[in-house]
Amino acid sequence: MTFLTAEFLLSTSIILYMIAALAALVLLKNQKLCALLSSLICIVASLFGLAAAFKQLLFENTTMALRLWQSNIPFLDVILSMDALSAFFVLCLSILTLCVSIYSIGYMKHYYGIRNVGLFYFLYAGFIVSMFLVFTAGNAVIFFVVWEIMAVVSYFLVSFESDEPETQRAGILYIVMTHIGTAFLLIAFMLMFRYTGSFDFSISSSALPENIRDIMFVLFLVGFGTKAGIIPFHIWLPYAHPAAPSNISALMSGIMIKTAIYGLLRFVFIYLGVETTWWGIAILVIGMVSAVLGVAYAYIEQNIKRMLAYSSIENMGIIFIGIGVSFMAFSEGLELVGALALTAALLHTVNHTLFKGSLFLCAGSVHYAVHSKNMEDMGGLIKRMPITALFFLGGALSVSAMVPFNGFISEWLTYQSIFAGIIPGQAAENILLVFAVAALALSGALAAACFIKLFGISFLGLARSEQAASANEVPLSMSLGSGILTALCLLSGIFPLYALGLINRVVLQLANRPILDQLQGNIFFLYSPLEIHGNAISPQIIVLTLVIIAAGALFIERIIFGKEKRREFGTWDCGYEALNPRMQYSAAAFSKPIRVVFKMMFRSSRDLKIKGPLTYHPDAMEYSVTTESLFEKYVYDPVSRMVTAFSRKAKFMIQTGSVHTYLLYIFITTLILMFYNRVIG
Amino acid sequence: MAIVIYIALQLVVMILLAPLVNGIIKKVKALTQKRRGAPVLQMYFDLYKLLNKSSVVSQVTSWIFIATPYIIVSSALTAALLVPVTTFASPIAFPFDIIMLVYVLALGRFFMGLAALDAGGTFGGMGSSREAMISSLIEPSLLVSIFTIGLASQSTSINDIMLAMQSVSLPLLRPAFTLTFFALFIILIAETSRIPVDDPSTHLELTMVHEAMVLEYSGRQLALMELGAAIKQLVLITLIINVFLPHDQFIAYAGIGGLMLSLLVYLIKVIGFSVLIAVFEASTVKFRFFSIPNLAALSFILAFLGFLQYFVLGR
Repeated sequence: MTFLTAEFLLSTSIILYMIAALAALVLLKNQKLCALLSSLICIVASLFGLAAAFKQLLFENTTMALRLWQSNIPFLDVILSMDALSAFFVLCLSILTLCVSIYSIGYMKHYYGIRNVGLFYFLYAGFIVSMFLVFTAGNAVIFFVVWEIMAVVSYFLVSFESDEPETQRAGILYIVMTHIGTAFLLIAFMLMFRYTGSFDFSISSSALPENIRDIMFVLFLVGFGTKAGIIPFHIWLPYAHPAAPSNISALMSGIMIKTAIYGLLRFVFIYLGVETTWWGIAILVIGMVSAVLGVAYAYIEQNIKRMLAYSSIENMGIIFIGIGVSFMAFSEGLELVGALALTAALLHTVNHTLFKGSLFLCAGSVHYAVHSKNMEDMGGLIKRMPITALFFLGGALSVSAMVPFNGFISEWLTYQSIFAGIIPGQAAENILLVFAVAALALSGALAAACFIKLFGISFLGLARSEQAASANEVPLSMSLGSGILTALCLLSGIFPLYALGLINRVVLQLANRPILDQLQGNIFFLYSPLEIHGNAISPQIIVLTLVIIAAGALFIERIIFGKEKRREFGTWDCGYEALNPRMQYSAAAFSKPIRVVFKMMFRSSRDLKIKGPLTYHPDAMEYSVTTESLFEKYVYDPVSRMVTAFSRKAKFMIQTGSVHTYLLYIFITTLILMFYNRVIG
Repeated sequence: MAIVIYIALQLVVMILLAPLVNGIIKKVKALTQKRRGAPVLQMYFDLYKLLNKSSVVSQVTSWIFIATPYIIVSSALTAALLVPVTTFASPIAFPFDIIMLVYVLALGRFFMGLAALDAGGTFGGMGSSREAMISSLIEPSLLVSIFTIGLASQSTSINDIMLAMQSVSLPLLRPAFTLTFFALFIILIAETSRIPVDDPSTHLELTMVHEAMVLEYSGRQLALMELGAAIKQLVLITLIINVFLPHDQFIAYAGIGGLMLSLLVYLIKVIGFSVLIAVFEASTVKFRFFSIPNLAALSFILAFLGFLQYFVLGR
């Protein structure tokens, strides 16, 4: 068994993904075979990736390094390395890839004959490989190259359904935004090379002056923040996620935006170090704003996938809150609090991968069956698609942080780390932290409300359209893909210490102290409470209690009052006996109270069109609500107008299109360079 | 063994006492309106009658509708196990804390919101949407209040908080706790659907929130929903009176005598607090729905000032 090293598993996994990509291209003509084969190879590859990550996280103490290519120029060496942090993210990636690949077997069926499925699988496998390499890149050059490949490949995937204008717009917005982020990263890496003379981020960063560190932090924050989709760099996310095919949305939301968390931890936490308190404060404040605004925008959304995309912004906000608290605590020497907050953030990262993956896959199933992403076209799907509904409900409970699902555990840990971080004698920090508590609470409650709306409007009640009334359950492979993820949400919620056991090594690497022994009381398989400073919760016991009491209530009422006599009848409609689907509360109506309460932010305007005579009974009425995005209106639109205006001017003044002028430019540039060389150089 | 006694005690006290609180509140409200009102024990009769009746279920509904009453009762009773009525019987190792309590109750609320949408009528959606707004807006205040009392006791375990508060003399005269108390009182009013947030006795579509959500329920399911709501109300009352008005430190007896005396004092406190709620309800009118955010903001400001006071003046 000695050949089963992490290196072997890792390289096998990567090679298999590449084979999957090539196989897709080779079998371009036979779509069915191509989809099946590529999916299967991806499944096997993800199992190898999973094994590599497990091996590294549980059994290896040293960083694994894989030198693929040695060049004479030192920073062009191609090195892959995997330490605990990389392994943790590879783990998240592999779990998700496994489920998404299973799901894709069924999901891609509705593209047969319409789109180029072979090309899709080529890009799909390439996308996964590029993310894999982002997590395992051994120096900044490789990191940057694969980061860019990931961005470009995902752009092609976002605009896969390229004939729809909305998709085209989403694709352009995405590629522009992601490149703005990349530009910031590029400057940061150049500064890194300028001051340390190396692109190796595993060496010490002590050569960097204090102010350069601050500048690099801001560059990394904006660069990675754009990829993470945190507010105010979020505007691409609510367009790109719904436009992409659902299996791609699951990958993008589940793991691609997490590459930003990885980058932040890798380059700021490990490389730059955490000595400056305001870094933590900046991350915390951005996290708070993203959490609250993200979920508020999600709440008023009618498009299922866009709602999930906004919810991703919220969850990235929660992760940022954890990282921010951790930075603050470490910079002030509160190591235990810092380690705890970091654990909470990492746990929420893996949890979000699981439940958001599941939710996007289920949303894809709904789209597959109903052919719509608009909640107002759905309703009553729980009867038509009971399995999808069950898994969707599990994902919704998890994202709403309900006991006993995993979302609750990570939110509880975040609360506990803030609780431990509030200590007398630091007024400003305490006030900030208590606002973080309020922000977490508000976003948590709104998220629950949001998913009541999403599940209630689309799965319950009466069908609002013909397609919804005649929808059919999706193929087994699709249910299986989302089902595994939902099951993992439940299991890791009931037995959180096993998930935390995987995170322990990461925290040990980053914070230089293990956290697991602080978190566990006595561990048995069935009773393993989480414990912090004597505050403990036991998810296992709470589940048992809930189940026993519910069963007990059922049992006792049967014993005492006998079997229930139940009569079926129509829903109460004030006696008119003409209940129809349009009388139900719609998604727009459901979110009205919040829209009114936060009208400052949403600026909603309504439009009521009445057709026919203006009496009490017009022929038809059309009611629509539009909200405007403040960030787009006041930040992005003016900037984009300025850029466009500048380009237009530049076109006339500099880029005239005449070859003579261009030759003149070249000549002048040459002169200046010669002058520079002679006099200064 | 101690745990079995504790669980039995909590369940029995909470289930038996919860309907009484509603009875007292209704009676006092009737008296303030110069009416005789229904008997104090009316809710017990109602529950018994409902449990014996057959139920009518809408054809539109799914399994969520049938499962929800059990989930509500289960979450309310689980919450009841987390809040000791007396610290005499509470076990020493207590693997639950006050944040868990909030989320256990939220589980019930989540399913109630879903069940309301399940029948496909207009009223359910109305109630669900309104409840979603109210509960979202009061949540920050709730968590900040919890953090203040938790920080003052250096623990988030409810039992530890109660024990720590027993060593504070006259907690309600300390500014931090006074402010937090009023913040939590507003939350109690909002969570239990009382005037001025909601009116438990109305069935007018313009105003109802909680009643709209349970409108489709009848018979046995309705009984469970009502019982669940009553238990949740008693859990919140117990939390407030046992944290801010602790009484176990005054009881000198140990053992079964002390326990009985403690329960008696607890009963008196619950009755007194119910009268307070009733008087509060009788002396205000229902707010316009879009004025509720102001009340939530008031509650948050009180909670936040309470938090600041804790750091300025200590406990």
